Amino acid sequence: MAPSSLRQISTVTKYELLRYVRGKRLFAIILLTIIISAIFLVVPPAIGSSYPKDPKQFVLNMLSFLGILSILSATFFGADAIVSEFESKTGYFLFPNPVRKTTIFLGKFIASALVSAGTIFLYYYIAEISVRVIDGNVPTNITLSFLYALVYLFAILAIAYLFSAIMRSSVYSIILTFFSLFLILPIIDAVGSIAKFKPWFSITFASGIATHILDVPYPTDKVFTTMTAPRAASAGQTLTLAQYYPDVRLSLYVMGAYFIVAFILAITLTQRREM
Amino acid sequence: MTEPIVIEHLSKRYGHDVALRDLTLTVERGACVGYLGPNGAGKTTTIKILTSLLRATSGKAYLNGNDVIHHPKAALDGVGAVVEIPEFYPQLTPRECLAYIGTIRGMKTNAIAERSQAVLEQVKLLEVMNSRIGTFSKGMKQRLAVAQALLHDPSILILDEPTSGLDPRGMVEVRQIITELKRTDITILMSSHLLNEVQEVCDKVAIVDRGILLTYDSVQNLSTTGETAVVITSLEQVSPAEFNAIRVLRNVQSLKRTEPRTLVVRVKGGPQERFRVLRGVLSTGVKVVSFTPQHAAIEDVYLSLVPEGDA
Repeated sequence: MAPSSLRQISTVTKYELLRYVRGKRLFAIILLTIIISAIFLVVPPAIGSSYPKDPKQFVLNMLSFLGILSILSATFFGADAIVSEFESKTGYFLFPNPVRKTTIFLGKFIASALVSAGTIFLYYYIAEISVRVIDGNVPTNITLSFLYALVYLFAILAIAYLFSAIMRSSVYSIILTFFSLFLILPIIDAVGSIAKFKPWFSITFASGIATHILDVPYPTDKVFTTMTAPRAASAGQTLTLAQYYPDVRLSLYVMGAYFIVAFILAITLTQRREM
Repeated sequence: MTEPIVIEHLSKRYGHDVALRDLTLTVERGACVGYLGPNGAGKTTTIKILTSLLRATSGKAYLNGNDVIHHPKAALDGVGAVVEIPEFYPQLTPRECLAYIGTIRGMKTNAIAERSQAVLEQVKLLEVMNSRIGTFSKGMKQRLAVAQALLHDPSILILDEPTSGLDPRGMVEVRQIITELKRTDITILMSSHLLNEVQEVCDKVAIVDRGILLTYDSVQNLSTTGETAVVITSLEQVSPAEFNAIRVLRNVQSLKRTEPRTLVVRVKGGPQERFRVLRGVLSTGVKVVSFTPQHAAIEDVYLSLVPEGDA
């Protein structure tokens, strides 16, 4: 008799984790995390520069790759999680068993979330240990920053799973996940700065709370005017730009909404998908 | 609902294309049914619906009395299946793959270890049980697929071209496994393109074409109906008198000389009728060296039912 779905989820998670451990992607992302952290620790003394005096600034510098690392984790561990079962025919091994596709989806998602969260934890852990050793102080709100980073990570992981449930090819799913999060949404965020609208609905904009929360007090929106360069064609004209900061509560709602909608759509599409 | 496999008015459409059309089929307990048909006939579609890989457009399917469409988890509980040539996670070993499936199926750790050893030995993969599957050939993966289907001692085995991708030795070994399984009360539904294989292994045959079930009967009955082409080889050239004597024998539908010492005779009926014709041929004085059906009996039935070009 097949066990409960809960036990089956834990089985799927266990073997997914085993596959990650044996695969190259987990090794690659851990290596990347260590290299990024090492750059911030090694380069300043190597070029005769000193570390930032402010522990907050030190951590902000070290966490400046948080966004890209989160996107890479979601892409590595989520973007082909579902589509590969259909594309590479491993589904013929797994699906004709007394286990629901939703169970397999949940097991896989938990494994992806654990591995991705572990990567982000490692990144924060290195930053915290470094600032503790170098400055002796740890900025307040670093734990909150980590929690916000996790909310963003889980939301983009759900988006990656959604693309994986929709697409017919792993390659397309990976490209779509990476470029929509790395390029398309950040472009919308940048346009907001010029067109003076606050892109509160953008998940990449909302993710800013993970690092801005380290600023005490929390920064507020600014509109500033600059003069164009004296030799430019538009010399003497002024340019008004806006610097927007995501509202914490609203951003949490936005990321939560992305997670819920993407997750429900992804699990529904996976359940309905045929081999 | 006591029969292990019950299919009722099953249909499957892909847009305007009809893959299965009102298919009704019941497989009795302990039967080994060969599921035959040309490419695109609906064999794999039927098997995919039975294993919950596809949703039926209409109709019902039951495995051990459980509705496959609405309760796939219960329906697939006692079922082992090999669908197409499955791929396995290249990072895992055969032992880990079987442990994965065994745990999913709720088997105890000891039972998984014991059965894994037994089925891997059965499919001759015991020596590589701890090697990564990423290095395996297509044939080895097919053997592993058979092993995972047998792991939990299923009461129903659904096989989609189980010898596909195997070398001749592998084919013989898989057929031997299926023949051994027939000694238990396992129910087997097996699709295949190899008519000889089906005739050798199965008790019953279902032939499907363009999504429609054309016939479903025992191999014995199908072999005794219709015509069989038999090749007669003689030690010496058959004389015109002998040739004419054979042509008028009872149950002989037609006679053709293909070589000076070789005749092809079409015999109406089954083994009894063929025996009578052989006796008749010998009585004409022809020195018969061999008297061999040109095709497997199933092949003649298949060729008469499935129109040319349906492949």
